[in-house]
Amino acid sequence: MSKHRQEIWENELAKCIKCGTCRSVCQVFQSVDDESYVARGKMRLVDAYLNNKINLTDGLAQRMSMCLMCKACTASCPSGVKTDRVFLEMRNYLAEEKGLSKVKRMAFTWLKYRNIFDFSLRFGAFFQGLVFKGLPDRNGRIPRFPIPVAGFNQRRIIPTLAKRPLRSMLPEVVKIDKPKMRVAFFTGCMMNYVYPESGLALVDVLRANDIEVVTPKKQQCCGTPIFTSGDFKTGRLLVKQNLTAFCDLDVDAIVAGCASGGVAWKHEFQTILEEDDEMLPVAKKLAEKSYDISEFLSKIELNNNFGRVEKTVTYHDPCHLNRGQGISKEPRDLIKAIPGIKFIEMSHADNCCGSGGSFNLSYYEVSRDINNKKVKSIGEVKPDIVLTGCSACRMHIEDGLFQSGLNIPVRHTIELLAESYRKQGVI
Amino acid sequence: MLDLKILRELEETLGRGRVKTDMESLISYSYDGTFQERLPDAVVKAHDVSEVSNIMKISGAYGVPVVPRGAGTGLSGGVVPLKGGIVLEMTAFNKIIEINMRNKYAIVEPGVYTNDFAEAVEKVGLFYPPDPASSKSSTLGGNVAECAGGPRGVKYGVTKDYVMGLELVLPDGEILNVGNMVDGETGWFDLPLLLTGSEGTLGIITKIIFRLIDNPEHKQTLLAKYDQVIDAGKTVSSIIKNGVIPTTLEIMDRTTIQAVENFLKIGLDTEKDAFLLLEVDGSKYEVAKQLEQVKQICLECGAVEVETASTKEESDRLWKARRSISGACGKINPTKIGEDATVPRSKIPEMIVRLREIAKKYQLKMVIFGHAGDGNLHPNILTDKRNSEEMERVEKAVSELFNAAVSLGGTLSGEHGIGYMKAPFLKMEMGETGYQTLKKVKEVFDPKGVLNPGKMFMDEEMF
Repeated sequence: MSKHRQEIWENELAKCIKCGTCRSVCQVFQSVDDESYVARGKMRLVDAYLNNKINLTDGLAQRMSMCLMCKACTASCPSGVKTDRVFLEMRNYLAEEKGLSKVKRMAFTWLKYRNIFDFSLRFGAFFQGLVFKGLPDRNGRIPRFPIPVAGFNQRRIIPTLAKRPLRSMLPEVVKIDKPKMRVAFFTGCMMNYVYPESGLALVDVLRANDIEVVTPKKQQCCGTPIFTSGDFKTGRLLVKQNLTAFCDLDVDAIVAGCASGGVAWKHEFQTILEEDDEMLPVAKKLAEKSYDISEFLSKIELNNNFGRVEKTVTYHDPCHLNRGQGISKEPRDLIKAIPGIKFIEMSHADNCCGSGGSFNLSYYEVSRDINNKKVKSIGEVKPDIVLTGCSACRMHIEDGLFQSGLNIPVRHTIELLAESYRKQGVI
Repeated sequence: MLDLKILRELEETLGRGRVKTDMESLISYSYDGTFQERLPDAVVKAHDVSEVSNIMKISGAYGVPVVPRGAGTGLSGGVVPLKGGIVLEMTAFNKIIEINMRNKYAIVEPGVYTNDFAEAVEKVGLFYPPDPASSKSSTLGGNVAECAGGPRGVKYGVTKDYVMGLELVLPDGEILNVGNMVDGETGWFDLPLLLTGSEGTLGIITKIIFRLIDNPEHKQTLLAKYDQVIDAGKTVSSIIKNGVIPTTLEIMDRTTIQAVENFLKIGLDTEKDAFLLLEVDGSKYEVAKQLEQVKQICLECGAVEVETASTKEESDRLWKARRSISGACGKINPTKIGEDATVPRSKIPEMIVRLREIAKKYQLKMVIFGHAGDGNLHPNILTDKRNSEEMERVEKAVSELFNAAVSLGGTLSGEHGIGYMKAPFLKMEMGETGYQTLKKVKEVFDPKGVLNPGKMFMDEEMF
């Protein structure tokens, strides 16, 4: 085991006073009510491993993998223990020592080879009518039989895959006459393959603000689903490809419309390149100009020629936007700036929706249980639409609302802005 | 290792897969908020009273220890399974059965989280005052078993002041109901009082009847700053003597103020030797009157500056420093050892002097930031548990600190309980006769000594 890793573990373990505060915020724990699944318990398991009291058992691996990576324990810890880092390191260590689970290994091999991934997903979009049952509103589909590779539960609905990925629809540069600024757009996989309309809306909103948008074709998955599963090796590969694709661009900012992608650019690229002297400075430099789209819009002089949108809306805080980047006020301010909008805060808006990236593929039942609480909060508000800043949250909440018989659409915040500009004829 | 026969019997009673013996589970139920860890032999979660009763019958028949456990947030080692055996998790008892507004009581199960209960009570316009710092993660059963306190103790007392009745499962599996919903009951031994703070050594709590009170209309916060911590101590004694009872009365000494300022950078005055943070509540008229009175006393006792908060935001700002102490201390040294030895309020200035002497003698970093209002100063030693030489000094300092508290007429525990941590000192406080009496009570309830052995009592001949 590397000394670096051992030091991280030992320093964080020394800080844990076992107070149990994490029990009051961990959604997974509250669903399973078992101490071995809460941060405090898992910290003790890591400690037991370091002290040779337990081996790298399947049980240990199970506890480490059953985590949403929502950072609620880290944010609430009175002693400042970086629990997220401890478990990430353990996942990586487990992957190194024991290998990734078969399901994840297959999915990630696809991601690594972007062209194949593109192809297979496009192929999927074409053929999914055979595999999935369509929902009445054609917004989503129910798999007709479980697909083991994706871990889909038979009950789960997934949205119709885009016929064409976002990046194939966008030119490398969206030109503007006399641009005020020039930004690079990191799309993230979900916007690229599942919700291209969000990506198009994002570009439209930037255009409406006289900002030129560069969308590098060679960008990749940010690597989050891969390195958070413990596969740092593949993760690093993707991270480096992304850094290379963006580092020479002449842009004022890098803008992400994806909460996890934003955290990755700002923090996680540096975390997994900690021991890479060559790439770490690049990651650091680009991190300084990386922004979530809502954060970016709150920093510029926004074109406020908004058209009226008469809707009641509520907002769900994605973990990787709120706790991951400290962004919760900005999207709300944008939403409230639009005339005609009635904004109602849902209860526990900052609770995880239960998606947790690939968590919901592996632990669908627990994930659904957690999501049911979110659906209940939304149901109390009865909005016309639910807004959020993360497409993975969107997909999971859409699924939850459908399962509960609530016909409420979920949209990316940026789509509301685009709609408002469109009504005013700005775009 | 438990005999396979016993494990099989447990599983027959509870159902397949409900008796956990895998290493991951055993490790996760080997601790609480203290330092010692001991592996149990099995972990089970009961879902109803009859299951608890059946588990106790098996444990009694084979003499296997049973340790009831709520959230495991205790600070005296109450749920550490010192002698192995079965950890009995009570978190599935999570229902608020009734909140009676007309007669002002509530019936709850022990696995309900303290804060959830307090919020539910507040929703109907009533008030459940005990507010241990861990209230968001602690359970009511644990609060009753350890007799938890909290900042509001100075005015509203601790958990025992609100327990009207209990349902318990005894070590032989019989179900005992004590107390009732009638506030004025006076006959016979006060069993709810005896069982509150019994730390799982007499019976397993399965239902609680709590007294509720009216919600105070108004609250206001005041912060007083001192050049001498002794003056802050004198203020506490003087306020109580003058008949003002604040809702909370918290002290922060210089080391604490500096730690918080380093952590938060909110412009706290780090030149000051101590802060007192006070809250008064009542009707609007009462609050104004008390606040003025308190302000005068603070100034008379040597406060150099007094700030009052009139809005919620201002009061939140004043409280922010207090709430951030734990995190701030973590930045100084990773390990924090907190004690709750409590002295009579008049002895607070003297106790502060003694604590500072002890810290100096053993060259330890100590912060004081307690509920000064009820004499509970919460000295915390900041150390690093990996430094075994320093940990030895910590142990000596803690023992001296207990001595100091008892010699000033105080007590070992203001709110955390005795557990294993203070068991070696219990005789010192109780005296031989007192100690033997406690043991006899234990024998009446638990003659075989199966319930939470090793807690409170050190000598093992009865087990």
